[in-house]
Amino acid sequence: MEINSLLKEYEIIGLISSYELKIKDGYVKDLSIKDISKALKMVLLDDSYLDKKISDLTLNELFKIDLLTKFNNDLIVVGNLSKYLNYKDIEYFKKLLLKLNNSYHKKIVVIDNDIKVFFNLVKMIVVIKDKKVLYTTNDFFDNNLYKYTKCPKIISFINEVNSSKVILNKTIDIYELIKDIYRSV
Amino acid sequence: MNIITNVTLVSTNINKDLLKKYQDYYVIDKSFKIEDLLNKQKIIFFNVFNELEEDKIKEIYQILIDHQILFINYTNNMEEALLTKYLIIYDKENILIEGPTMEVLKNEKLLKRIGLSLPFMVELSLLLKDYNLVDNIYLDNKTLKGILWK
Repeated sequence: MEINSLLKEYEIIGLISSYELKIKDGYVKDLSIKDISKALKMVLLDDSYLDKKISDLTLNELFKIDLLTKFNNDLIVVGNLSKYLNYKDIEYFKKLLLKLNNSYHKKIVVIDNDIKVFFNLVKMIVVIKDKKVLYTTNDFFDNNLYKYTKCPKIISFINEVNSSKVILNKTIDIYELIKDIYRSV
Repeated sequence: MNIITNVTLVSTNINKDLLKKYQDYYVIDKSFKIEDLLNKQKIIFFNVFNELEEDKIKEIYQILIDHQILFINYTNNMEEALLTKYLIIYDKENILIEGPTMEVLKNEKLLKRIGLSLPFMVELSLLLKDYNLVDNIYLDNKTLKGILWK
């Protein structure tokens, strides 16, 4: 299946692939964005950034500016959340992307090598190499997926426990996992 | 800044400007060959291990240790913090807390307040401690499984 067909069907997909941020240098205020103050707030920045040069921004800030330049697109492609953002920001931007999909019907592609970024966000995971789709799955516990990328710790822990007589539910929520452990010990 | 051990450095806003504080370190900010590093005395890795498995990172660290090369890993991935014995946390440009890794990670509330997560096994152990299911922090799946289901 091609990416376009997958997007049509699933609307938010996660790509395991490499991604490079590319934004033209210049001042933030010169970006052609409608209601830029509001857009800056949406990406957790403020008006003080209007007078900043793109080349002076940190990776975290570049990610945010890159995203706000895409708000008007029907398809929003973002990448490397795990590399550029801290945990709190990742959780915020996942909620924002879900809102852009739910309320504004944007299609979303999230590119990352850290599967945790896709938790509670994407409906299909696609592994891409050299522009070719190598593998697709919608199951975070699909072991074949981890031939291509690192396995999140919560999944490797549950797999380790389930390799013996104990069977824990397959969850990506640490609090659900704790309850399940409590019930089974 | 005078550092005498290998360190993981985590900041809330990963920023190349911070590297200026470590000017005597050779900066690695893209893929590299380990052979090219062996003639350096001090190295700082800038956010380069995201795609590597932990075992591979440990292998790189061991080679550097064997060659008595001092290194800092500057990352935003708290899981990587467990791979060195010393941890420095920056909140923007200032050191918020530093010390032996496991001691720093005990400051769960402080770390979460500035937007950092705990490494998964540390968080899991702490939650299990709250339920009186374990009395320590376990970093290894098999060990924790053995403790829980004796």
